[in-house]
Amino acid sequence: MTITRINIGPVHPSTHGVIRLVVDLDGDTIVKVEPHVGFLHRGVEKLAETRMYMQIPPYTEKLDYVAPLAYDEAYVATVEAALGIEVKERAQYLRVIELELQRIASHLLGIGTLCNDIGQMFTTFMWAFKDRDMVLDLLQEATGSRMFHVNMRLGGLHSDVPPDFVDHTISLMDYMEKRIVHYEKYIEKNTTFKERMVGVGVLTKEKAIELGVAGPVLRASGINYDVRKNRPYYVYDKFHFNTKTLYDGDNFSRYKVRMLELKESVRIIKAVARAMPDGDALGMPIKLRSPNPVNRIAVVSRELPRGECLLYMVADPQKPYRLSIRSPNMINLAAISHMAKGARFADLFAILGSLDIVMGCIDR
Amino acid sequence: MEENDVGSKEFENAKQEMDRLVYESLKEKEIKPNAMFAKLSELTKAMSVTKGVVKWSRVNSLWPMQFGLACCAIELMDFGSARIDAERKGYLLFRGTPRQCDVMIIAGWVTKSMVPEIKRLYEQMSKPRYIIAFGECATCGGPWWESYNIVKGIDQVLPVDVYVAGCPPKPENLFEALIKLQKKIDGKIESR
Repeated sequence: MTITRINIGPVHPSTHGVIRLVVDLDGDTIVKVEPHVGFLHRGVEKLAETRMYMQIPPYTEKLDYVAPLAYDEAYVATVEAALGIEVKERAQYLRVIELELQRIASHLLGIGTLCNDIGQMFTTFMWAFKDRDMVLDLLQEATGSRMFHVNMRLGGLHSDVPPDFVDHTISLMDYMEKRIVHYEKYIEKNTTFKERMVGVGVLTKEKAIELGVAGPVLRASGINYDVRKNRPYYVYDKFHFNTKTLYDGDNFSRYKVRMLELKESVRIIKAVARAMPDGDALGMPIKLRSPNPVNRIAVVSRELPRGECLLYMVADPQKPYRLSIRSPNMINLAAISHMAKGARFADLFAILGSLDIVMGCIDR
Repeated sequence: MEENDVGSKEFENAKQEMDRLVYESLKEKEIKPNAMFAKLSELTKAMSVTKGVVKWSRVNSLWPMQFGLACCAIELMDFGSARIDAERKGYLLFRGTPRQCDVMIIAGWVTKSMVPEIKRLYEQMSKPRYIIAFGECATCGGPWWESYNIVKGIDQVLPVDVYVAGCPPKPENLFEALIKLQKKIDGKIESR
C-alpha cells in the first residue's frame, strides 16, 4: 500500500472559505483527512474584552457571516442574561421571525452551494440565491440592512418593523412553500445527486455522540435534539413544530434534514406572524450606559442554522471580562476525518459541502 | 456603451490586413513564412499596447478569480447569481486557477497567515493583472483595525486598482467597481 499525500487549499474553489485539507490517499480511497484551520483568525474573543457591551454585536455577527442575525441574537441574549434584562413580548415574536428568516436564508445558501459542489447543478445554485435574495430583502425591510443587520438591542430591537411587514412575510412564505417543493422535486430526482449523496460519508449515531456534532449533522444521524425544542427560548414553546430527524447519517440525510427544516421554519414564521401582539418592541438605545450585571457568569445556548452554539460570558460592569464561544462549525468539521475515511477522493467535497461549514466561525 | 467600442476600428483594419495577407500568400501559391512574419510584426506594432486591439480586448474580457476570503465572498457569490447576472457584461468567467485570471477580488479580511498565500496567487496570475479591494477589511482593516492578526488593508502588500467601500458592499457596487476598472485600463481615469 502506497500512500499519496495531497494538499488542498487554503485557496480552493470548493472549500467554502479558507481551509487547508491534507488528504492521504490509497489509490482513490481516502485513508485520512487532516483539516488545518486558522487562516481567518482575527481574535474576536480578545477584541470583545476591550469593547463595551453593545459595541460587540458587529464583531459577533461576522463570526457566522451566512447567518449573522443568529449570532447577533445569541450574543445579545447572553448580555441580557448577565444584566438580568427581560425581553419585551412583541420583541420576542419579532426576534423569532427574524431568526427563522435567517435560518431559511442560510439553509438556501447551504443547499445551493452543495448542489454547485456536486457538479452539473448550477441551476439550483441560481434558484437558491434568487430566493435567498428575496428573504434578505424582507430582512432589509425589517432591519434596514441587507447582510449585517445589527438589529438586536438589550430588551428588544433597534426598530419596530414597518406596518405591512407581516403581510409581506406571509405572502413570501406562501411563495417559499411552493419553491421548497419545487427544489425537492428537482434535486431528488437527479441521479447524479443521489449517487453522490446516498450512502456516502456515513456518521453513525454512536460516533455522532462521541464526536459531539451539532445541528442538522446530529439530527441526520438519528438523534432528536434541538435547542428550540429541548430548552425552548422566547416563544418557541407556544407554537407547534417538529424537529426533523433522519437515521442514515449519510450526505443525503444531512441535505434532507436542511430541506425539512426549511419547511418547518416556514410553518413557524407563518404561525408567529399571525399571532404577533401589538405593543412596544424597542430595546435600550446604545448611547445609554448599560446597567450593572446581576450575574457574574452567563451561559446561553442557541440553535443556530448550523447547530448548537454556546456562549459563555464573565461579566464586568459595562464590558465583558471574558467571552468564550463554542462554535458548532468547528466540531462538525472535526468529524470530517471520520466521515471521509473509506470514501472516494471525489466525494470529499460532497461531504464537506453537506457539513455546510463557515470558516469565519471556526477560526474566530 | 461607449467604452465597449474602444479600438473596434483598429480591430477591423487589422482583420482586413490579415485577410489581405492570407489572400496574397494563396495567390502566389507558395508560402513565404519569413515575409509573412515580417508583415505580421509590423501589424502587431501598429496595434500598440496602449491603443488598439490589445487594449480593446483587455478592457472587454476581464476574468475574475474565484477566490473569497470572508463575508464579502458571500456577496461575491451573489454577484454571480441570478439577480445581478454579471454575465451580461462579460464578467462571469470566474476561474478556479489564477493562471487564467486578470482580476483578483480581495473579498474579506486579510490575516497575517493569508498574506503569503495571496502573494503567491498574485504572482501566478499573468500580466497585466489587477486587484479590487472589496469591502472595508480589504481596504483598510475595517472593524478589525485593532486586532493582532490583521493586515490593515491589502494595499500594504500588493498594488490595488479599485477600492470598494462598505461592510459588506452590495453586489451592485462590485459591478460599478468593474466598470471603473475597465475605464482605468482604457485610460479614461487617471491612476494615482
